[in-house]
Amino acid sequence: MRPDNSRLVRGLALGIVPLLAFAACGSDGDSETGETGSEQQVPLIFGTTEQFSEIDPAASYDWPGSMLQINIAQTVLEVPPGGNQPEPEIAESCEFEDPKTYTCKLKTGLKFSDGSTLDSADVKFSMDRMIGIKHPEGPWSIWASSLESVEAPDPQTVIYHLKYADATWPMRLTYPGASIVPEGEYSATEIRKPSEGAIGSGPYKLTKFDPDQEIVLERNEYYKGDKEPIHDTVIIKPYPGSETGLKTAIEEGEIHVAHRTLNSTLIQDLEENGASKGVEVLQGEGTGISYVVFNQTKGPFVEKAVRQAFAYLIDREKIAQDVYNGTVEPLYTMVPSAFEGQYNAFQEVYGEKPDPAKAEQVLRDAGVSTPVKIQLWHDSGDHYGVESADMYQEIERQLESSGLFDVELKSAAWDRYSADYPTGAYQAFQLGWYPDFPDADNYLSPFFETNNFMEKGQGYSDKQMDQLLAEERSTVELEDRLPIFEQIQKKAAEDVPTLPIWEQKMVVAQRKGVKGVERTIDAANQIRLWLIDATQAQ
Amino acid sequence: MVFTPTVPTDKDLHATAARRSWLRKTVDVIAYPYRASSGVARGMLVAGTVMVGFMVVLAIFAPLLAPAGFNEVETAELGAFPKHAPPSSEHWFGTNVQRFDVLSRVIWGARTELQVVLLSLSLTVVTGVLLGLVAGYVGGWLDRLLVLVMDALFAFPYLLLAIVVAFLLADKLPQGLGGGIAVAAVAITVVYIPQYFRVVRNSTISAKQATYVEAARAIGAPPFVVVMRYLFSNVIQSVPVIATLNGADAILTLAGLGFLGYGLQPTEASEWGYDLQRAVDDATAGIWWTGLFPGLAIVWLVVGLTLVGEGLNETLNPTLRVRRLIPVQLTSVGTTAQEPAVAGRSSGRGGEDA
Amino acid sequence: MAGRSGSLREYLLVRLLLLVPNVFVLLTLVFVLLRVAPGDPISAALGGQLPASELARRRAEAGYDRPLLVQYVEYLGQVLSGDLGTTVTDSRAVTDILVVNGAATLTLTVAAVLVALLIGVPLGLLGARFRNTWLDVVIRLFGVLTYAAPVFFVGIVAIVVFTGMLGWLPASHQASPIMQYSVESRTHFFLIDALLAGNTRAFVDGLRHLVLPAMTLGLLVSGVLIRLIRVNVAQTLRDDYVEAALARGISGRRVVLSHAFRNALVPFVTVLGLQIALLLGGAILTETTFSWPGLGQQLVQYINARDYIAVQGIMTIFALVVAVMSLLIDVVNALIDPRVRY
Repeated sequence: MRPDNSRLVRGLALGIVPLLAFAACGSDGDSETGETGSEQQVPLIFGTTEQFSEIDPAASYDWPGSMLQINIAQTVLEVPPGGNQPEPEIAESCEFEDPKTYTCKLKTGLKFSDGSTLDSADVKFSMDRMIGIKHPEGPWSIWASSLESVEAPDPQTVIYHLKYADATWPMRLTYPGASIVPEGEYSATEIRKPSEGAIGSGPYKLTKFDPDQEIVLERNEYYKGDKEPIHDTVIIKPYPGSETGLKTAIEEGEIHVAHRTLNSTLIQDLEENGASKGVEVLQGEGTGISYVVFNQTKGPFVEKAVRQAFAYLIDREKIAQDVYNGTVEPLYTMVPSAFEGQYNAFQEVYGEKPDPAKAEQVLRDAGVSTPVKIQLWHDSGDHYGVESADMYQEIERQLESSGLFDVELKSAAWDRYSADYPTGAYQAFQLGWYPDFPDADNYLSPFFETNNFMEKGQGYSDKQMDQLLAEERSTVELEDRLPIFEQIQKKAAEDVPTLPIWEQKMVVAQRKGVKGVERTIDAANQIRLWLIDATQAQ
Repeated sequence: MVFTPTVPTDKDLHATAARRSWLRKTVDVIAYPYRASSGVARGMLVAGTVMVGFMVVLAIFAPLLAPAGFNEVETAELGAFPKHAPPSSEHWFGTNVQRFDVLSRVIWGARTELQVVLLSLSLTVVTGVLLGLVAGYVGGWLDRLLVLVMDALFAFPYLLLAIVVAFLLADKLPQGLGGGIAVAAVAITVVYIPQYFRVVRNSTISAKQATYVEAARAIGAPPFVVVMRYLFSNVIQSVPVIATLNGADAILTLAGLGFLGYGLQPTEASEWGYDLQRAVDDATAGIWWTGLFPGLAIVWLVVGLTLVGEGLNETLNPTLRVRRLIPVQLTSVGTTAQEPAVAGRSSGRGGEDA
Repeated sequence: MAGRSGSLREYLLVRLLLLVPNVFVLLTLVFVLLRVAPGDPISAALGGQLPASELARRRAEAGYDRPLLVQYVEYLGQVLSGDLGTTVTDSRAVTDILVVNGAATLTLTVAAVLVALLIGVPLGLLGARFRNTWLDVVIRLFGVLTYAAPVFFVGIVAIVVFTGMLGWLPASHQASPIMQYSVESRTHFFLIDALLAGNTRAFVDGLRHLVLPAMTLGLLVSGVLIRLIRVNVAQTLRDDYVEAALARGISGRRVVLSHAFRNALVPFVTVLGLQIALLLGGAILTETTFSWPGLGQQLVQYINARDYIAVQGIMTIFALVVAVMSLLIDVVNALIDPRVRY
């Protein structure tokens, strides 16, 4: 009465065979990205963990929004790949007629992706609507503070009237959020929804926007300019919340280029073992920084000596190596090395290595009793990455090993964190920064000016500092600004309103055989898709 | 005629139960399933108890057994811990990305898991039993309402409910007040209440209707006491089984929460699910030890609890009891024939075949 | 016969009517849960980014400053009319999320159930047939192990072995980017769309991407199925009519397959329905592990973004699915087993 097992075995076998066949089907060594089945050129496939959500420049203040705009639209001025000064893009030429008036002459014959003409009316419209809509997640504040009005006297001329002399104005115009949109098509009061489609004048146009599955760009036949895209089609493939997924995708060859975000464990593995899987890792100057903010309105950090002691004890090298596997560099001032005007004041004042003796002395001289009890806040990882917790645990250890501090670490998820810190609830807290526009001022004014974005969270107010900042902003020539930058950074090292820790390198992973990525790795921290050539990718 | 009893008859059935100390009674109650079981059921029960017991020992004696604290990166004996070190004589299970010793994380993790599960199970059992009693005893619209709510909850995905509760509570309960553990425990509590509710309510209802309760009431015995006694013996059979299986589930839910990031922060306590989340990155980089050991720990504890639960179920639940193949003869009944019992007869109807 | 079908009709009617309070309770539960949260959905999602006046304006516009009861009634009304709201953080209609991502979750769960049946049913039957032999013990242990191993642990191991070491199968998404791009999404079921487009390469690619997640989730459910089938079939095997059949000389296998199995179906179907909870919960974890673009993954992302409307919407979907599945299970049960009546 033994049951007949043969049927069972047959059933299982029938099931497994096709399974193995399917598995074998795809693993014949070919790259997954090749052969759509016809003789077209292979599309470029770019992978990222970033979440795309907006197609309207007036709502694009984050990295994915900027990336989209850089590739599908144009700004009046732009910073070319590898450069760090603004150059005309839509404009033919621009200049300051006087310190408060900036005039641009536009090129002729420019068109949008729907065939309509691009002229000064569109430029004025784009800026007016941006500031008018004031979208809460938009970059309008970059221009609203200094812009009085925009004038378009004739189709080829745009005049910006500023409230005060602002030497950084040309730089601000390069931000992708200032991309030009068509007047008749886009609403002056509403943000354009993805379902309505995007119209821009850039080298590519947006043909499909599905932020969970794929975003597709195709060559814009109406584009007039110097950019020559190599691929007709680009697929942006999101891997939301899955850095590991992004990493396995590039290892498997499902994508050609991967950027943002790969954490340090993954990057290290790709650097060490990626070659055997056909992956290369490129690194370049980055513009992201991480720093600690001290609350000077209440708590132990009101006392300058406490802030200085903290600065003496921090070991940036250890954090960079241990926590970040060398994917970040120690930073000794708020301005990263990609920008003109960087001056490593913290290194000068506090030394490169931690100095517990000096820390103790400065506390003793100020009459502060040790150990100083402090609360140190950091993001729980959903905004600044998993390494946040690791980094601050390391900082805690560094501070406590000297016996001078007694640290209580606290963390919160980003939405609560970002709502709480401006209220002054935190004694000292972690923040990160990416530039709005590629100028050193963007790493100084936001942190040192009285009444900055940190509101009551920091409470630093110094008349001399404000004067210096106003001076560098209104000085037009770069050489004249450099000495002012130096003074500002020296003062910041003395007063320690914030403590810079590291600057991040821009890291991009690519398949072997991909060309052009190195050209887009620069201070702009963006991916210019038209420069990339994946036709020979492995 | 073959009489095959399925409870041991060697005990004196008329022992004066009341005179035995309550300690003896408790021990007897706990020991009963072990003595009463046989074969596979006993094997499962014993194996499961050993496995769970091992984890309990780890949890209780964690400070003595673990080579380091759960968030320490150096000790006097071992010096500073390296990052991502593979298993070695110094670090039996290696170290992870935060430079913690994995073995220590596993041992301390046992404490966390058991703490959370015990806390949540006690809350659940108390709430579920109370509600079930009330519903069964009071009846009427309250009963109908509760049954409706519980039935709806019963089929709801555990993890989903737990995630939402954890997510909602995480903002409210301040950290550092044992916040994380309390949040996780409450999140898990809510999802299992319906099970106890259902069992206790059904038993209460049938207890209310049992004829001897009426008889007892007729004699003048307080009905509540009679119901409770009847209830106790009925419920005692099912609650432990449900509790162990729920314990197993609760551990998986807690690990799931930790994996998704809604559980405990690593500085508060060591939790296996959180370690597995960090281990996902390591796995693709060929670092296998940070995920394998916490994962195996989860499997170990859950398997242990499940075995205990299944073993208990088979022992206490008569419908599944296996008939012994060799009949037992009672000397007082004079039969001469011995017939081997045929495998495959069910005693599930409640009575025994004569 | 007429009387019997009459009571079946009655049963179905009553059961259908019971769906209403069932759904009602679940929806209330979802609503209450989400209102227990501090603040309101708008502040939660955009709190750190908007000035207080703007927040207040949006709150008033969306109606969150009205009494809870009013909001509750409105919520119920919206759900019944099919409007599950629009997400706060990326302005997507929740019903759109349901259609696009629900298809992916459905694909995964159906495939997982198939895997679970393929593994669970034969093993469960074997275990019942050879009850309490070593084979049975091994099978039971297997059943316990597959349930005890957390689904993300199994998933990680699967990724390490099949993607990392062997390189046979992919570890994320429904299809490779190039295939995804070349298949037009009409039904939002990638496999079906690939077939409709006649693109066999894409179809195979989609299947390859489905293997690991389906096997991982299916393995989890198979463990429970094994135990269930084993217990139910074993119980049925000991019924008198089975002995009678055996005595008449019908082969053991036929007894198991035709008599016992069918009768074991009743409680089995019931409990299978209850496994929906397990499937949905497991799907959330599986989708996260494999970046599978389903409802579970969306839920996790929206929770991280504190988008309460989206979370509420997805939870409502889950609640409705659970209620409807319970209904279906009861109906199927009633059809199989004439004893199930009111």
